[in-house]
Amino acid sequence: MRIGFPRAVHYYDYFPFWAGFFRSLNLELVTSPLTNRSIMESGLKKASDETCLPIKILAGHIQALKGVDALFLPRMVSTEEQTYLCPKLLGLPESILAAVPQGLPVLTVNFNRRLGNRRLLAELERFGASLGKKRAEVRQAFGQGGEWQERFERSRLQGLSFTQSMAEFDPVLRSSRRKAEAGPQNQFPARVRGPKPSAGEVPGDRVDGELTDREGSGREVDDREVIGREGSGPDVMSREAAGRTPGCSPEEKKEPPLKIALIGHSYLTQETYANLNLLGRLQSQARVRLVEEVETSRIAQGLQGQRKDLFWSHARKILGAGSFFSRGDEVDGIIYLSCFGCGTDSITQDLLARVARKEHKPYMVLTLDEHSGEAGLVTRLEAFLDMTERRVRRESDISAHG
Amino acid sequence: MKVTFPHMGNAWIVIQALFEALDVEVVVPPPSGKGTLNLGTKLAPESACLPLKINLGNYIEAAAKGADTIVITGGSGPCRFGFYGESERQILADAGYDFEVVILEPPGGSLWGLARRIRYLAGSRNSWARIVRAVRFAYEKSVVLDQVEDLIHQARPRFSDAAGAEKLYAIARQHLIESASYESLHRVPVRLAQNIRDSQGDANGSGGKEPLRIGIVGEIYTILEPFASLDVEQQLGALGAEVDRSIYLSGWVGQHIFRGLAQGYRPLRVYSRLAKPYLEHMVGGHGLETVGAAVSFARRGFDGILQLLPLGCMPEIVAAGILPRIQADFSIPIMTLTLDEHTGRAGLQTRLEAFVDLLERRKSGRLKRGSVLSVAGK
Ligand code: SF4
Ligand code: SF4
Repeated sequence: MRIGFPRAVHYYDYFPFWAGFFRSLNLELVTSPLTNRSIMESGLKKASDETCLPIKILAGHIQALKGVDALFLPRMVSTEEQTYLCPKLLGLPESILAAVPQGLPVLTVNFNRRLGNRRLLAELERFGASLGKKRAEVRQAFGQGGEWQERFERSRLQGLSFTQSMAEFDPVLRSSRRKAEAGPQNQFPARVRGPKPSAGEVPGDRVDGELTDREGSGREVDDREVIGREGSGPDVMSREAAGRTPGCSPEEKKEPPLKIALIGHSYLTQETYANLNLLGRLQSQARVRLVEEVETSRIAQGLQGQRKDLFWSHARKILGAGSFFSRGDEVDGIIYLSCFGCGTDSITQDLLARVARKEHKPYMVLTLDEHSGEAGLVTRLEAFLDMTERRVRRESDISAHG
Repeated sequence: MKVTFPHMGNAWIVIQALFEALDVEVVVPPPSGKGTLNLGTKLAPESACLPLKINLGNYIEAAAKGADTIVITGGSGPCRFGFYGESERQILADAGYDFEVVILEPPGGSLWGLARRIRYLAGSRNSWARIVRAVRFAYEKSVVLDQVEDLIHQARPRFSDAAGAEKLYAIARQHLIESASYESLHRVPVRLAQNIRDSQGDANGSGGKEPLRIGIVGEIYTILEPFASLDVEQQLGALGAEVDRSIYLSGWVGQHIFRGLAQGYRPLRVYSRLAKPYLEHMVGGHGLETVGAAVSFARRGFDGILQLLPLGCMPEIVAAGILPRIQADFSIPIMTLTLDEHTGRAGLQTRLEAFVDLLERRKSGRLKRGSVLSVAGK
């Protein structure tokens, strides 16, 4: 039996667990292709208007699963004892049914660590039984899933890129990585095809009037290009060396690169198509830190000072990592990537804004929606990086002179 | 210490009674209005949900009347409401409002912590016995309040002039505010029912025909707070529809505050069983209740269902994704109304009229098939 796993939402955080689980049960788990325009469009058509972008993308990926006998949509209630996932994810299997092609069976199981490992395992055993698997087999699969997941998370903590870390578990990423490495693309700093902002553009210029949509700007992210760009490739150049700021003096070229934290849900920061390759763009101009690279102890440290604990696991990590980055000098600025319609971000981004303001850390929220245009994103990004850079330079001047 | 709290429909009547019974000085915020919302919208993150924005406005207006302490209930998710208290505290503090915020919840699961917070509010002069007595009486008041609201839901479509029912409603609310004993409390609905019967003797608005029945489901704040829903119940009543709702205040109090030890006027726990074929797990807020109540209304032969939700409300977006299946299975029209600070009265009224019109046509269509005689007889 071939079971389909849509490359959206849970994929980005928990796929290794399920890959290990199903592999151990000898069931084939296949993913949908990387997000592309037709996946996005079919998602927008099939999902409810009011829901958030990641759920819409999920609806598209469900359509894009080909040649599978069933669709797997786990109900991830909680992955830690004290927290929940977002309400929309708790209601996922049922509320997305309208996007499931007629006749495609949906497999689901509750994954809830709040109930303790014993009951979680019992739930998985019941699920396994429905697939004709024995309890001992399921227990073993649970173990293997856990190991794979841990391996993935450790790899992320060690600073390996998402693609590098995930490729081990996802054949699609493996083959695109191989192709990318064989091709010439990764020898150049990555760039998305399409109009480049003109060199004379003043940072902070309003270009809202000429926002183009994805299609209009001719943006067609080539999967290989995207993969080849990330993480691998030559080391990050400073912004000056990369020629981003024209007309600066030779001395300034030795400035070290900016350090920027890109935080937000992994299914946004790593969703290269939907975020217009924000991560790749940033990486070509700065050293980028991500939430997944921050250890638990530092997240806890970041959360000190909050009177009440956030109860969503993603939001806790985002706020904890973001606060940690706000306080130290590990990064020069923080970009919070959010999306239109995200309920948990509405709380988290506001809490973090207050922390960042108190710590005088440059902070920007980028909110994606399905109409986000490239020009607007580039302008805001450039303006933020320029502002951060001026700040950094001013501060180092001050400390050098006084 | 001057305590205030956010508005949610008539809940203030109950909360005020509770604090006054404990001799705690309480500031009831001025009724929520456009100005309230504007104040809140300015401070709140744009993508925050509507109730949080109105809450903030309530606090600021209460601060102008001397309030310095906010009491709000809490929760541990998964919906945003559980974080309202802390979020609001930070927003207010950064805006220069120095409120003490007391969140009534067991912090980190500790009942002892909850007891300490109650003690903090009630002061040392109140014995626990007195606190318990006051809480029980306030709870009873919430049950009676629900009876009053339910009677008004039934009365509205049967009055020929819309103002008549509202007048009786105002009188009953006044009685409720004044009643200080169980005896006087229980007289309130009896008197209201009598008043309704008396005035219907000469005013038979519906012309003897049974009004449409519409079940309101959705997010609790927009259901209970007429300002947030732009008086949707009243508007439907004026259009000749009798409404019932999935949630009444005491049911929420019983479930949310007394953890199911009390059931309230309209118990909520039946809903999860009814929802089961459509949604098997709670999703925070009242998403599960919305689905269950929709099934319940459909089974009870209501003519239509109206779902209310603030823009971006996570649990209700889940429910909204499921309601179309209930609509198809039971062949009952369901309309979803999303509310935010930009919702206009005129647009809303047009949609309600169209909905009522649709339901009426359906209903009369059924009548023609089923009982030609009664139509001819009129
Ligand atoms: S956390 Fe935000 S983005 Fe993720 S599913 Fe929930 S609402 Fe959507
Ligand atoms: S139920 Fe909806 S409106 Fe209420 S707090 Fe939760 S998300 Fe916001």
